[in-house]
Amino acid sequence: MAGLAHLLLGDGRLPVGAYTYSAGLEPAVAAGLTRDRIPALLRARLHTAAVTEAAAAVLALRAAGRDPVDYGPVQQALAARTPAAPLREASATLGRGVQRLARRLDPGHPAVAALSGIGPRPLRPVALGALGAVMRVTEEELARGVVYDELQTITSAALKLLPGDPLDSVVWILDAEPHAAAAVAEALAVRTPAGLPARTPPLTEQWALEHAQRERRLFLA
Amino acid sequence: MPDRHPDTTPDRHPDTTPDRHPDHNTPHLPDGHPRRALRLGVAGPVGTGKSSILATLCRELAGELAMAVVTNDIYTDEDARFLRSAGVLPTERIRAVETGACPHTAIRDDVSANLDAVEDLEEAYGPLDLVLVESGGDNLTATFSPALADAQLFCIDVAGGGDVARKGGPGITGADLLIINKTDLAPHVEVDVAAMVADASRARDGLPVLALSRHDPASVAQLTDWVRELLVRHRSGTHVPTDPGPMAPHSHSHSHDGS
Repeated sequence: MAGLAHLLLGDGRLPVGAYTYSAGLEPAVAAGLTRDRIPALLRARLHTAAVTEAAAAVLALRAAGRDPVDYGPVQQALAARTPAAPLREASATLGRGVQRLARRLDPGHPAVAALSGIGPRPLRPVALGALGAVMRVTEEELARGVVYDELQTITSAALKLLPGDPLDSVVWILDAEPHAAAAVAEALAVRTPAGLPARTPPLTEQWALEHAQRERRLFLA
Repeated sequence: MPDRHPDTTPDRHPDTTPDRHPDHNTPHLPDGHPRRALRLGVAGPVGTGKSSILATLCRELAGELAMAVVTNDIYTDEDARFLRSAGVLPTERIRAVETGACPHTAIRDDVSANLDAVEDLEEAYGPLDLVLVESGGDNLTATFSPALADAQLFCIDVAGGGDVARKGGPGITGADLLIINKTDLAPHVEVDVAAMVADASRARDGLPVLALSRHDPASVAQLTDWVRELLVRHRSGTHVPTDPGPMAPHSHSHSHDGS
């Protein structure tokens, strides 16, 4: 059955709570983003948050392969590059679902056990690194999974927030492919937690802070 | 109320539970003592009175049981705000989870957000006896995964029409308790409650049906007694969570009489 794990990583139906997250779309829509601007948002995410997240996941996967496993440096580096508290909280919430799955698959795996040593909770890319180790995916498969998931999260949430022809989503994702490939390459090139790119778009941060104050939300962030 | 809870249904045991982490999700210690609260799901179509049932249960039972509530809504915090304003439980014991406009997914296909909320409440206020998990108002097909709810009650009401019970669906046929709510409205909507209960009982093959009105103290007492008895079974390890859905053809080793 080789070759399925990396597909699972990018599958929105992986039961780890991803449907509760819009990767910034709901806050952006509240700030006035319209449907015709979704491709631009996808590109923006691929040049910013997706690179940081994919790189952090790859760093965590590398950490998971060492003895002893220590996620501390990558967790701290990522938290420092996620200045908006609601986004850190959303990441930790999503990471918890990933951790739950990793624990279910292989509770005794050193990569999984080391997640419990992280306080207060592992951020999603860190948990994904551990899951990647359990599922034995390559660094490139993991990075591509994270980047693809970013695209799928936004386009799936768009079906709820800015409804239109669902087939548009496929076109948008395919059109974003060169940007996605660049994001994967950039993530794989990061060697150390200190070198983790700080791609935090200020507007996204601001929208996330506003979203956290809003009632009648559909998504975490 | 007729009751039917087989002691053993090995073919329906939830071996597929996504997480049995010993700290939070093991219902019983090896010696049979409960480690965590009973998780009772409350499902049913929109507007049938789920939030009102939650408020009633809190009002009646919070004096004797340590309780908490998790709500699932299309818009995250509507039901949670209703319950908080009802003043039936300390507000911090009522949590709302984001469902991404998919309350059906949140209670069935991917229960991780709800498990997180339940575990957080147990960690913060435990040990708890009872955690109520309210589904978002969905249609007749939404039922809880046994990975989330140990037992579930499904709520329909007389105002939805007398036919609803006969039409069936997984919640109506398979929930641990079916509630036919708002019976006080029956004369106004020309529904025969007794006939509706009889239809529902036939559809449920012996599982309990309760005709409820919050203006009828006797029916409220039946509801709370059912919860107390369920809690006893949960604690003794004799309650086996069962999955009412999805809509699968059912078969019996015996023949139906008159149906």
